[in-house]
Amino acid sequence: MKPHNNAAWALMIPAGVVMIFVAVLPMLAVLNYSFHDIFSLDKVLWVGTDWYKLIVTAPRFWASLGRSALFSTLAISIQLPLGIATALMLRKMQPVWATVMLMCLSIPLVVPTNMIAGLWLALLRPEGLGGQILSALHLYLDYKFTAVHTWALILLVDTWHWLGLVVVLAYAGLSSIQPAYYQAAAVDSASRWAVFRWIELPQISGALWIVMLLRLVDSFMIYTEVMTINAGGPNDATTFLSLELGEEIKAYSYGTAAARAMVDFVFVLTLVWVFVKLREVGKQAAGDIP
Amino acid sequence: MTRAGLLRLAGCIALAGFVVLPLVQAMALSLTATLGAEGVPVGSFGLYNYINIIQRPDLRASIGNSVTYVSLNVVFCLIAGLPAAYGLARFRFVGDRHFLMFLLAFRVTPPVVLSLPIFILFARVGMINSPVGIALVHCVFNLPIAIWILESFIAAIPRSFDEMAFIDGHSRSGFFVRFLIPAIAPGVAVAAFFCFIFSWVEVVFARILTVSAGKPITQAITALFTFQTDWGLVMAMTVFSLVPGVLMIFLVRNHIARGFVIRT
Repeated sequence: MKPHNNAAWALMIPAGVVMIFVAVLPMLAVLNYSFHDIFSLDKVLWVGTDWYKLIVTAPRFWASLGRSALFSTLAISIQLPLGIATALMLRKMQPVWATVMLMCLSIPLVVPTNMIAGLWLALLRPEGLGGQILSALHLYLDYKFTAVHTWALILLVDTWHWLGLVVVLAYAGLSSIQPAYYQAAAVDSASRWAVFRWIELPQISGALWIVMLLRLVDSFMIYTEVMTINAGGPNDATTFLSLELGEEIKAYSYGTAAARAMVDFVFVLTLVWVFVKLREVGKQAAGDIP
Repeated sequence: MTRAGLLRLAGCIALAGFVVLPLVQAMALSLTATLGAEGVPVGSFGLYNYINIIQRPDLRASIGNSVTYVSLNVVFCLIAGLPAAYGLARFRFVGDRHFLMFLLAFRVTPPVVLSLPIFILFARVGMINSPVGIALVHCVFNLPIAIWILESFIAAIPRSFDEMAFIDGHSRSGFFVRFLIPAIAPGVAVAAFFCFIFSWVEVVFARILTVSAGKPITQAITALFTFQTDWGLVMAMTVFSLVPGVLMIFLVRNHIARGFVIRT
């Protein structure tokens, strides 16, 4: 057990000072702007909670929120199972090849965010490799005007970008399982599913929880890729929370942008809080099992 | 080969194809002269775009700018992160879990939310167009990550290790530099890796904090999109921007997976 020592706060000072300067102060500033109408930095008018009322009564906001929630749900329910399945598959391979595959899957993680969508659009041009494959298969991707296609493309691009993170972390969790567990399961002639459910899943849950959290908040506020692919279109079909916020910042309406930023921040924090609580409940439930 | 083996092979090939295809396309385009020039006909194959990068001072400078602020960010995150990670790994104290939650809250704050006040704050202290400014701002999301990763590596080392060093008469700072850092070297590498890539690929802060100078590589690429975009040059620049990241992946390939084991 770790000793109790409040002097350890002294060790938090460097990190605390940096975070106060780059995160807490700006956050307080956003909160302050959100109660004002800002014409210029000298001409500021107190408007109270008007912006907030305006935002939460707009149907467009709730529609965007719904779309963001749907996108996060879809992204996680595709990427998590696919990533775990891939990690399980890699565990069965020779370590050298598994490492090669892990490195390969990590490359999309180091692509600059503003070029992720660009790479795919270049690939899918009619004269590009992907475009030629699609036309050979007699498939037609109309991501500019058909909403389902736009969604599919954004999900595909997002999965391409982040699958590596899920695989790397799940693989790490699986590698740390002692062979004795598998031997015990073999003695009990446990099914493949039972091995996964009662041995593998609990061992990788620590890594999965953090990757799920990162994917949850990052997909919830996805911006650059969506903006590049179709700027929220067609017909607002891919206008997520972040795109609405982006519109206001670009239009220099700082007061309402700040209020919207606060609302979005509260949603993200609520998501995280629910997630942490669920995790604690899950831990307690797991603790009850002998 | 068994049927399951064949299935796995097919799965791997499909997956590798999916990941590599856009990169192959980018490579192919980067080696093609898409707009052409005198003596270089459109569609000709060669290193023309890469030579173009080396010859353009703005593109050359952007690579230097990116490398500067990303390296500075890694240094800041390690210097501020190591003591915090050590404290969290070794002691319980009033508010320790709240401090972790506080860090988590800012890791998940969307950059767009903070972009405007950060711009105003940094303009006031004269850190616009400066690599130090961007390196500091990227701590918002990288410092929490660095602390988490380092904490999990430090927690894996028995406490007796610290006590031995203190008994031998080493001060705390001497202990950090001579004992702790070498002992968790893979952890430092993994933390540096994640800080590096998250800072390297970030665009929102890097854009708003560089108004007239110090443009990063991501902005240099965006600036290449014009009425008549030279796709070959864009892709050459993108491929170029992958080099440091891929090198980092290669360096930490055997440790990359250990970082995110987190206790809250």
